[in-house]
Amino acid sequence: MKASIEWLKEYSDIDVEAKELGDILTMTGSKVETIESKGENIKNVVVGKILEITKHPDADKLVVTKVDIGNEKLQIVTGANNIKVNDIVPIAKEGSELPGGVKIKKGKLRGIDSCGMMCSVGELDLSIAEYPDQIEDGIMILPKEYEKFLGQNIVDVLDLKEDIIDFEITPNRPDCLSIEGLGRETAVSLNKKFKNPRKNIDELKIENKKEIEGLKVDITAPDLCYRYIARMAKNVKIGPSPKWLVRRLKACDVRSINNIVDITNYVMLEMGQPMHAFDINSIAGKHIIVRRAKPQEKVTTLDEQERILDEDNLVIADENKAIAIAGVMGGLNSEIESDTQTIVFESAVFNGGSVRKTAKKVGLRTEASSRYEKGLSPENAERAVNRAIELVELLGAGEVVDGKIDVYPTKQKINKIPFNPEKINNLLGTNISKKDMIDILEKLEIKVENNTVIPPYFRQDIEQEADVAEEIARFYGYDKLDTTLANGETTIGLLTKQQKIEEEIKNILVHLGLSEIYTYGFINDNDLDKINTPKNSELRKQTIKIKNPLSEDYQVMRTTTVPSMLSTVATNMNKKNENVALFDISRTYKNIDQAIENGQVPLEEKILTIGMYGNNIDFYSFKGIIENVLEVTNINKYEIEKEQKNTIYHQGRTANIKVGKDIIATFGEVHPIVLDNFSINKRVYLAEINIDKITTYSKENKKYEEVAKFPAVERDIAITVDENIEVGEIEKIIAKKAKKILESAKLFDIYRNEKLGANKKSVAYSLIFRDKKKTLNDDEINKLMQEILKELEEKLGAELRK
Amino acid sequence: MEEQIKKIQENTSKSIKQAQSKQELNDIRVKVLGKKGELTLILRSMGSLSAEERPIVGNKVNEAKKEIEELITQKEKELKIKELEKRLETENIDITEPSKKINIGSIHPITQIIDQIKEVFLGMGYSIADGPEVETSHYNFDQLNTPSDHPARDLQDTFYITEDVILRTQTSPVQARVMETQKPPIKIICPGAVYRSDTLDATHSPVFHQIEGLVVDKNITMTDLKGTLEMFAKKCLGENTKIRFRPHHFPFTEPSAEADVSCFVCGGKGCRVCKQEGWIELLGCGMVHPNVLRNCGIDPEVYSGFAFGCGVERIAMAKFGIDDLRLLYENDVRFLKQF
Repeated sequence: MKASIEWLKEYSDIDVEAKELGDILTMTGSKVETIESKGENIKNVVVGKILEITKHPDADKLVVTKVDIGNEKLQIVTGANNIKVNDIVPIAKEGSELPGGVKIKKGKLRGIDSCGMMCSVGELDLSIAEYPDQIEDGIMILPKEYEKFLGQNIVDVLDLKEDIIDFEITPNRPDCLSIEGLGRETAVSLNKKFKNPRKNIDELKIENKKEIEGLKVDITAPDLCYRYIARMAKNVKIGPSPKWLVRRLKACDVRSINNIVDITNYVMLEMGQPMHAFDINSIAGKHIIVRRAKPQEKVTTLDEQERILDEDNLVIADENKAIAIAGVMGGLNSEIESDTQTIVFESAVFNGGSVRKTAKKVGLRTEASSRYEKGLSPENAERAVNRAIELVELLGAGEVVDGKIDVYPTKQKINKIPFNPEKINNLLGTNISKKDMIDILEKLEIKVENNTVIPPYFRQDIEQEADVAEEIARFYGYDKLDTTLANGETTIGLLTKQQKIEEEIKNILVHLGLSEIYTYGFINDNDLDKINTPKNSELRKQTIKIKNPLSEDYQVMRTTTVPSMLSTVATNMNKKNENVALFDISRTYKNIDQAIENGQVPLEEKILTIGMYGNNIDFYSFKGIIENVLEVTNINKYEIEKEQKNTIYHQGRTANIKVGKDIIATFGEVHPIVLDNFSINKRVYLAEINIDKITTYSKENKKYEEVAKFPAVERDIAITVDENIEVGEIEKIIAKKAKKILESAKLFDIYRNEKLGANKKSVAYSLIFRDKKKTLNDDEINKLMQEILKELEEKLGAELRK
Repeated sequence: MEEQIKKIQENTSKSIKQAQSKQELNDIRVKVLGKKGELTLILRSMGSLSAEERPIVGNKVNEAKKEIEELITQKEKELKIKELEKRLETENIDITEPSKKINIGSIHPITQIIDQIKEVFLGMGYSIADGPEVETSHYNFDQLNTPSDHPARDLQDTFYITEDVILRTQTSPVQARVMETQKPPIKIICPGAVYRSDTLDATHSPVFHQIEGLVVDKNITMTDLKGTLEMFAKKCLGENTKIRFRPHHFPFTEPSAEADVSCFVCGGKGCRVCKQEGWIELLGCGMVHPNVLRNCGIDPEVYSGFAFGCGVERIAMAKFGIDDLRLLYENDVRFLKQF
């Protein structure tokens, strides 16, 4: 909401500069967004008098002028054709500045020196509405008597200096969407008296009539319209508004249309109550009906757009048709025209929520709707319509018709709140006296009677004690509040098991050289195709669609983190980054058991995703990283099993980590087709690790075991097996046979050659045996080695290599 | 004989001095002290001496033997040191050649800021709570005193799944979930991702992160809120940081405030980061609205509380001097490795 200081001064003495006023109001809750100083952007522009005009020797459309600017005479070349000798005009001298940052320099026009420029209305950021006798595309011609100001600054001569403050108004304070409301805040904030220039309006009593000049009003939807007041003016002369009014509208960024429309806008800005003016001839049957729209009812609004409504929307209608969308915009069919003679001013209050929904539905948020949706005061509506009528008289725009039609089905409720200074102090942590509290409240026109707080009609936001506390705190000063620390019951700040696990994972991965990334929870629907997701996959069925996505890329909530990781990998590859190692701890979102359809939240799982490519990475080093993660998270018992069906991955280079039957992680090389879909031309290793499951299976059961006292026995074994035998199977047999005395089985060699034969490989282990209770003897180890070998032969067709 | 001994002594010590290797010393030892060594031979020939002379010569030989042994040992030590020195010389390396360190990765700047804040609040006895990102409008709005016709709903452009299920626009619904399930005293913070339909640009992202804080107990005051946030600001942004409260409005707090901190880049003098204001808007906060307490089954006549919520990206950007928010979500390793 913009307010010029000139206008605010009508309500309060202001003895501080704009900047300081802005700071003070910011600290009492009316936050300043910007301060604009009009006139400051015009420099070195003075009043001048044209002494002579001669033709330019080399250009038909230019003239050469001599101009008197008081202490000096200038030669200026111009293309303007509305000037004549002795005209008084604004002259931008050499080195002057105009709005928009234009700087005027000395120059030559077709070979003739020109030492400045004559200005048009637009070049000074003024409008024809303010200066109706000027023309748009010509030099501004000042009144003859301005000759006495020759050489003086145009900003002073035309009184262009104006400070305008733009405030951010919070939605609980619709009263501050008016100069009157801001004027009140200004007065209290500066500790000045609030001068009420509308006292006459407040005291006015207008006779309520059923019918005026044949006009009737009915409300058929009193739940959506709390009050509707109509007043009339006849013999209206539509014309321009006076300069002062145009200027105030302009300060609030409102364009002048004609005197009647300007009055409605002016009253809205001044008092916060949107107004509308109808031509009575456009109201069929002279009967205004405030009703719900019919299904598919069409209204063409003032901006010449056709809007389609339904029963949830409220319209102002006559006996045949809708003539306005209530609280949003008037209809084109009832617009004030230049030949309008009798007008009806509407000042009404509608249900805020309903206006908000309607404005949203028709996609039209107007100055009016943004006020209505916050909930306006029905009491203020009458003041506003009376003010509009007063302005009609003041501007001589028409004759006032006596009386009003006031349909007021739901009287505004005035809140009554118990006043308990002790509780307020307890909430704020202050020690403000009851008297000081009452002082503050009374300045805000909030009454305190018999320990009851009664807010004025324009403060419907004050509903309970906490609201009263805020008012007191605002003007006691938020900056005066102490800083204390709550001294209640001691609480212990601890991380949960899962939070600790996540910290451990991040630590180990960073130490292993990986960098953490952040990705969005939503992805493109196509991303599931890009990662090769089968048509019947659960990942597709569980997908959650966003109704109003920003773009296709943010269409659905992801059921897998893989596309996010692969996109990031691709980004890094495109940037020619070598050796990229990334991880991400984030969520997947799965609609399980129709949660969404039942209004419930979906399943969100925390997933650790790892993505890597580069020179030093292969399946086994990647596997090492996964094992390190399991180690630091205390997953002690797990199995690594080959995974050949997951279509994201290379079928020969992928594994699952299983705890019992539960897959807690999948990792491996990404399938070349998937890589191709992301335009990645390097082998990429990918892991998806379910942190929720890690948390379930993580067992911290560290217990000291005695350091071995008895010596170890070391034996090597080398066998030849078929290529398709996994070394994991060999290790399982060794472990099964050796039981507790196997300390370690280290694979130290795998080789293949022609001698061994096709599809054969030689595998060599170094085994270390140790018994905790005794020294092992050779005989028992020899026997054990025989048994191991036998089992390997029988189960895996292994042969001892000689 | 005595002279013979003296001569052997002199000759031997001379050759020990001249010896250049361990081998030479060994040869000397054999030559003089060995089984057929010069001194050994003298001892053996002592039979020809008189009983008076024998102990005297014997003593002399033993003395000579001892002296020579000592000389050899000493020389051996000398040679060893020389040898070592020679080896060390050949083992000289260029210590400016590159190391073989492990390339350590990096924690994302958003996490780093969240971690710093977490640490401060854990230290003050807060727990860390979590809630769903796909949230019901019941928790995101209704429970937080923002019914469906409330104008504040327009301030936040919401992503809808259905009318009832949305992407949370704030971390505040976690407040309501915690209050419904825990009894006071409640002291939590909740970091997490939130969603608003803002197009991605240098200062906006449809996904960003907030940290929510909530305290509910008996006798919680607004000065407690201010004190807590001051502590947070000092510990996270620097001990000299000042805090300023401005009145504001949020549907779920009353009284409400916006908290500014003195600019932690310029210290309040005015710079590009604080737009020459000296203050940076840090967060929104206030006393938990009695309606919210009531909605969550907590009696506002008995308990009071405060809540706050701040944006993480803004702090990260100001603190690390990041001028474009998109960098945080692009995840270029050349960016990430700087943190």
